[in-house]
Amino acid sequence: MIAPRLGHANLGLGVGLRTAHFAHVLEHFPAVDWFEIISENFIDSQGRPRYVLDQIAERYPVVMHGVSLSIGSTDPLDFDYLARLKRLADAIEPRWISDHLCWTGVLGLNAHDLLPLPLNEETLAHVVARVRTVQDFLERPLMLENPSSYVTFAASTISEWEFLRRMADEADCGLLLDVNNVYVSSVNHDFDPVEYIERLPHERIVQCHLAGHANCETHLIDTHDNHVIDPVWRLYRKAHALTGGVSTLLEWDARIPEFPVVHAEVLKARQYMTPDGDEPLPADRPAAGLFAGASPGRPSTMGATPHPLHFVGREVQ
Amino acid sequence: MTPHDDSPLARLQRWMQAVITHPGGVAEGAASDDARCHLADSPSGIEQVISRSQRLTSEERLAIYSHAYFARLLECLRAVFPYVAKTIGEEAFDDLALGYLERYPSRSYTLDRLGAEFPRYLEETRPDRDAEGRPTETWPDFLIELAKLEWVIGEVFDGPGVEGQPVLSADDLTAIPAERWPQARLKFVPCWRLLAFRFPLNDFYTALRNEEPPEIPEPAETFLALTRRDYIVRRHRLDRTQFELLSALAAGRPIGAAIEQAAKVAGPDLEGFVANLQSSFRDWTAAGFFQATDL
Repeated sequence: MIAPRLGHANLGLGVGLRTAHFAHVLEHFPAVDWFEIISENFIDSQGRPRYVLDQIAERYPVVMHGVSLSIGSTDPLDFDYLARLKRLADAIEPRWISDHLCWTGVLGLNAHDLLPLPLNEETLAHVVARVRTVQDFLERPLMLENPSSYVTFAASTISEWEFLRRMADEADCGLLLDVNNVYVSSVNHDFDPVEYIERLPHERIVQCHLAGHANCETHLIDTHDNHVIDPVWRLYRKAHALTGGVSTLLEWDARIPEFPVVHAEVLKARQYMTPDGDEPLPADRPAAGLFAGASPGRPSTMGATPHPLHFVGREVQ
Repeated sequence: MTPHDDSPLARLQRWMQAVITHPGGVAEGAASDDARCHLADSPSGIEQVISRSQRLTSEERLAIYSHAYFARLLECLRAVFPYVAKTIGEEAFDDLALGYLERYPSRSYTLDRLGAEFPRYLEETRPDRDAEGRPTETWPDFLIELAKLEWVIGEVFDGPGVEGQPVLSADDLTAIPAERWPQARLKFVPCWRLLAFRFPLNDFYTALRNEEPPEIPEPAETFLALTRRDYIVRRHRLDRTQFELLSALAAGRPIGAAIEQAAKVAGPDLEGFVANLQSSFRDWTAAGFFQATDL
């Protein structure tokens, strides 16, 4: 019997910490339940980013979310990177560490993207073995997120939800369910997002992500640059009901508004924690009609780049 | 698995990376030897590897990753070298950055190192060399120096600093008995950098901060110290003798010997240099250049 959320606490409704909000957070210490950081923005920092993180980690629960683990790459694991990750974790004591089911490069290169994997037995065995190695090294369970993706492979033989379920069971790791990513991928790959969420092992879901995306008419792109749209909220309602409630975090990475706007967005999740509203998702995805209506809730198409940049700007006088 | 294994997953990843990072786009990428060698036993078409969706072809789907690769990394380079980009214009900068990414693709888990070789790349690809390989213009030197300055600013911003630690104060300095001054050595804070330029980089940087239009200045030797206080990078203009003095001190020379070394370059300004020594040290301690003395 596996405890819900692998035994982790439900931290409530959190916000992804971004440089644009450093000053606001330090000045107001807003009543946010928890913060998630992008690990790579802090693991080498000896300047302001690390100073800000230390202030925040003293006052809020913090989770470390990485983008460079490259768990699915056929390159060797980067133990230098893992050692830095562990050193930061030892210092700030995050509630958990997460990354993505993806690869970021091979032959020593890093594309700095969350590249998708062919989902088959070979990949599953490869990823499971590496997750175990990483967990042994970090001395804690790893949470892996379903990324948004834009291609599928002829070599795939397993659905993504089945892959995640088997990976989590065999490697004994947790899952970070990005509800927006499920929706984006479901449109891009023509699958049913409700079935995806229903089939996941709900007791292994430790955290949810929410974000906005861009509608490019023929496909969706995970831009993290807008409000969460209604169909994603409805999927979140489903995930909440099936998991019994897990730590939920909003990511906003491009065209970032003032902190109160971002915080208010994640607080909308409270409206979806009740089991009513069992309405079906519109079937004509991604027709424009689905997204009709005034912003908030209207996806953007401007400058659509998936998985936006995580780069800390310099402060100079 | 190793980077040299021949598993289907390893070959597919090498193929996909070659295709989406090809500067000519995914169709050219898939047709390149670099990509084809990894899937030699398969037909080379993208359709054989990537499934199509109801609305997009395999090539269109893969192109999303290609677009994202370049868009993301170009955005990063623009953020690291904002004034180089402003000086030459976004289009010219993007052309340079694309060439840079091809020659120096990221090999690090962090985007913080993406621009590390950019000044070198500008030097390697400067367009003004004559038949013997000698530069014939000065403006490429200006851009190279500007790129170096922007890179060092990034290093100082997020590298080791002394916030929350004591630094050498003016009182600490005046407390040194006069007879021990010549033999005293100064230890600099780790976020301190000393820079010499062939162009007035500091003035140019200030002008762009003030949103003035970027006009490449005439060459003029200038000197600059960078440090960080309260997590903000600070610029300190220096003259030639101050630069010499600080160079000698940073090299570990005692204060007396460093002053002698600097005096040699002072020339007719020797009197002024000596007269201003006290105020220079006062300014530098106030700016937090020094961490401690070694008496």
